[in-house]
Amino acid sequence: MELILAIFIGLLYAAGVYLILRRSIVKVILGVLVLSNATNLIIFLAGGIKRSGSAFVAEGAEKAQLTAMSDPLPQALILTAIVIGLGIAAYILALKYKYFEVTETHDLDQLSKTDQK
Amino acid sequence: MILLPSTILIPFLFIILALLIKSSHKKSIIAILFATINLLLTSYILIQVNKSGMLKAQMGTWQAPFGITLVADRFSAFMLFISAIIYLAVTIYSVQSVDKQRLKNNYFLFAFGILMGVNGSFLAGDIFNLYVWFEVMLMASFILISFGGERAQLEGAIKYLILNLISSFFFVAGIGILYGKMGSLNMADLAQKFAQTGAFPSLFEPSLVLFVVGFAIKGALFPFFFWLPASYHTPPPAVTALFAGLLTKVGIYSLIRIYTLFLYHYDYFWNPIIMWLGILSMVIGVITATSQYDFRKILSFHIISQVGYVVIGLAFFTISGLAAAIFFLGHNMISKTNTFLVAGWVHKEKNTLNLKVLGEMFTKNTLWGVLFFISAFSLAGLPPLSGFAAKYLIIKAGIEADKTGIALVALFVGLFTLFSMIKIWLEVFWKNAPKDENEETPEKPKSYPFMLTGSIMLAVSIIVMGIFAGPIYTFCEEAARNLLNVQEYIKFVLG
Repeated sequence: MELILAIFIGLLYAAGVYLILRRSIVKVILGVLVLSNATNLIIFLAGGIKRSGSAFVAEGAEKAQLTAMSDPLPQALILTAIVIGLGIAAYILALKYKYFEVTETHDLDQLSKTDQK
Repeated sequence: MILLPSTILIPFLFIILALLIKSSHKKSIIAILFATINLLLTSYILIQVNKSGMLKAQMGTWQAPFGITLVADRFSAFMLFISAIIYLAVTIYSVQSVDKQRLKNNYFLFAFGILMGVNGSFLAGDIFNLYVWFEVMLMASFILISFGGERAQLEGAIKYLILNLISSFFFVAGIGILYGKMGSLNMADLAQKFAQTGAFPSLFEPSLVLFVVGFAIKGALFPFFFWLPASYHTPPPAVTALFAGLLTKVGIYSLIRIYTLFLYHYDYFWNPIIMWLGILSMVIGVITATSQYDFRKILSFHIISQVGYVVIGLAFFTISGLAAAIFFLGHNMISKTNTFLVAGWVHKEKNTLNLKVLGEMFTKNTLWGVLFFISAFSLAGLPPLSGFAAKYLIIKAGIEADKTGIALVALFVGLFTLFSMIKIWLEVFWKNAPKDENEETPEKPKSYPFMLTGSIMLAVSIIVMGIFAGPIYTFCEEAARNLLNVQEYIKFVLG
């Protein structure tokens, strides 16, 4: 399971980087969202995954059951990261919308006014 | 212990109040009031920390490695205090500098969001908590940079946003991997585990690499700085001043923090890297600045160059080197913000910041000219001002650490800084204004009392920091000693 997840994360990163290098702003934004989810999965995987180990302790649990429990902290961290990611997604899409309204272009190559010459 | 959390609660309280109050006039008054309270509070924390060494607060009374810890040692208290001074000055300045529409659309709400994030990051004793405060700060800064929705602003915002988000991903991926290996997020606990395991995990610990890259992007160090000069000159000047004073410095603060806690175990690997990051930022920042012809762009490139000084101070990794770095950070935050405040005044008067069309600003208003002179030549390092002491300390620390070559590079960069500052001075304040075709009738010069107050506050701080460099340096030395004494930090937080 770890191996599959690791390969999957690698694929997500590859897809994210590929999308970020595109010219269209929409694709760059999609790339950012993919990268943010790949990062969430890294936290999940690095924290150690266990099959059917719940992240809480049942009432009156034995000590043996505690070792079968998965670590709740990475899950809490991912939850925080997902919420932050959601806020950023909302903002970045609004920004894109406004940018399109003002300039009527999707092309990142048009973003050259602020560059240093 | 309510003292430390209250630096976060005060901006939060303002954010709620700003939603309730309609009149932008009242909001401005309350903003100044809250910024003053923040300054008083941080100066109280500074005094307390100076007396007792360190302060901590365990959130929700969960004990250290498990709960969220807020820690203030001398370094973070110093940073808190300096950023509170800057914040107050910029708030007073913004009342007049930011246009009515932006003020009405709750400009101050987002500005206080930045203050909340900055205060939180300086106090965070937990690495994930640091990430969360970074995000609070980033969200507020995303909104401020695109606030108003002009075309240039939106372009700058997209560049700023994408690159800063990538840096956050680096940082949070590093946190995930580090947690998987070490099983802890508390910085003191992590530092203890690093110390116990010795050279383990390995020389090339991926999570630490991710941290350094993340912080280097945030702090605009050499190969990662491109977002900064592409975006900092687009928002209203007051916003740029706030960003220049606070945002990159938080990245550098975090770099110093993780270097003194974790990275120094792998000194032989990290020291040259950090050193070269510093040297290259210093040199390349200052050289690219010389080719610019926009007031704010020149200053933006100088941010990169001056961050380099702080980083080489860190790379010397001696008490005097770190103390010099802390002193330089304080000096640079104040001086840099003030140069941007003066740029804001020029922008208000002339509606442009292109050096080629400006001129004769000194005869227009001598006081602003003097204010620019003080802050710009403090950046360049002229004697009675804070920049002289800061540069002198860095160079002295370099010679003491047997890195005379690097000290010479720092001196050389100082020369270029002086060149850029003289260029701005000559072009904007001194030369005869180029003749306009449609000659305007000379209007009565307007005075901007609020903008002046903010700028004078910072100019006075520069002079005070220059004159009382001795006592301040003694404090910084003590702060550096605390930073290097990791065991004391661990014992205090966990004990």
